[in-house]
Amino acid sequence: MRDGMQSWLDERFGFSGITRFLTHKKVPLHKHSIWYYTGSAILLFFVIQVITGFMLILYYKPTLELANESVGRIMIEVPLGWIIRSVHSWSASFMIAFVFVHLLSIWITKSYRRPRELTWMSGVFLLLISLFFGFTGYLLPWDDLSFSATKVGTDIPRAIPVVGAWITNLLRGGEDVTGDTLTRFYGIHICVLPVFLFILLGIHIYLVQKLGMSLPLESESKGEKVREIPFWPNFIYREMIIWLLLVGILFSVAIFLPPSLDQAADLMAPAPEGIKPEWYFLFLFQTLKIFPAKILFISGEAMAVLLMVFAGALFFFLPFIDNKPLHRKGKIITLAAYILIVYALVMSIWSLM
Amino acid sequence: MIFRKRIFVLTVFIFSLLASYGPVLSSAQQVVEEIQTDTTKAKQESERIIASPQNIKEETGIFVFVGWMWLSIFVLVFFLRLKIREADRLFRLKFFSDEEE
Repeated sequence: MRDGMQSWLDERFGFSGITRFLTHKKVPLHKHSIWYYTGSAILLFFVIQVITGFMLILYYKPTLELANESVGRIMIEVPLGWIIRSVHSWSASFMIAFVFVHLLSIWITKSYRRPRELTWMSGVFLLLISLFFGFTGYLLPWDDLSFSATKVGTDIPRAIPVVGAWITNLLRGGEDVTGDTLTRFYGIHICVLPVFLFILLGIHIYLVQKLGMSLPLESESKGEKVREIPFWPNFIYREMIIWLLLVGILFSVAIFLPPSLDQAADLMAPAPEGIKPEWYFLFLFQTLKIFPAKILFISGEAMAVLLMVFAGALFFFLPFIDNKPLHRKGKIITLAAYILIVYALVMSIWSLM
Repeated sequence: MIFRKRIFVLTVFIFSLLASYGPVLSSAQQVVEEIQTDTTKAKQESERIIASPQNIKEETGIFVFVGWMWLSIFVLVFFLRLKIREADRLFRLKFFSDEEE
């Protein structure tokens, strides 16, 4: 009966091709294999976000009058609503942290080199989408802090010459952060970004499967044979251990350190003290703050934003900047990665002090 | 002459009054401002919703859930480690190699 059903479904969907692929797929085991798990951890947190996000949509109302109240209702009236909101918020942070770790590990191990340039570029796009997810989601509770932080955040592009003001107005849906901004951010958060993320994730995973998992530089350049294990079930079992531990940590953090909700934002009130963006924007925020008001004839803010855009472009085109043959170690590029890590940490801590 | 003297006395009196009560007035104003700030802060604090269990039953349930979750995770990790060892052993023995070919 079971075999009959299986063959009936297989004839229509071709499942046997997928299972054959999974059993034949091999995963290399070497000193950098630990970094392979960061990719699947990102996927795990994304799935948790989709599930908890859907639960929150059922009660959230994206209007100026009801946004803050509906989040309050989720936290007080909906059974275990505060845990769902906390898991959603923390899994976003965990996901972005793992995206950073994933990209930095690829940078340091030089896995972006030929032929994996597009895999890297799609990964950078996925990082941008994740950050934009965080930025748009931060406004949705519509409390004092999120409102003011969004005001500051959406004002930053204004410093870009020529198109800056247009970008700010496009993000805000007008001159100021209003109810229109809230509705716009909500639409982007639940409709636009997921679509882009699914497409890019599909491309990214396809490229990883097509080009194979990267090996340490010395092994790949010499064409050395590295020990391999089957993806199914050997590697999946190992991944399951990581997933279980991560889910445990996520739920424990979400239960014991849930985010609170401030009073509803007042459009006329002055900005509260100590406006801070989410932790993953702190180093950019502090970089903006340390720039003087004017550098030569350009405003300091414009200079900072232009420098950030330039640094972002360098990051995106890294595989074409470091296009050395595989046997070259590229020590300067590795050093640049470590400098970036130290810079981001120092700036973030400074911003919190 | 008497008029000038009166003006001088009045000025000295006003200055001494300001000198003695000025700091008191400004500190009083500071206190009023502080009270107002404290009131605003207290209002903000009172309007802030802290996420927490709604009652003792829910709180107990959550602690039980966290304990149960970690216990289940450790048990599952233990069994998964055994499964990994077994799967690796079968792979080393090329147990499925005929099937693959």
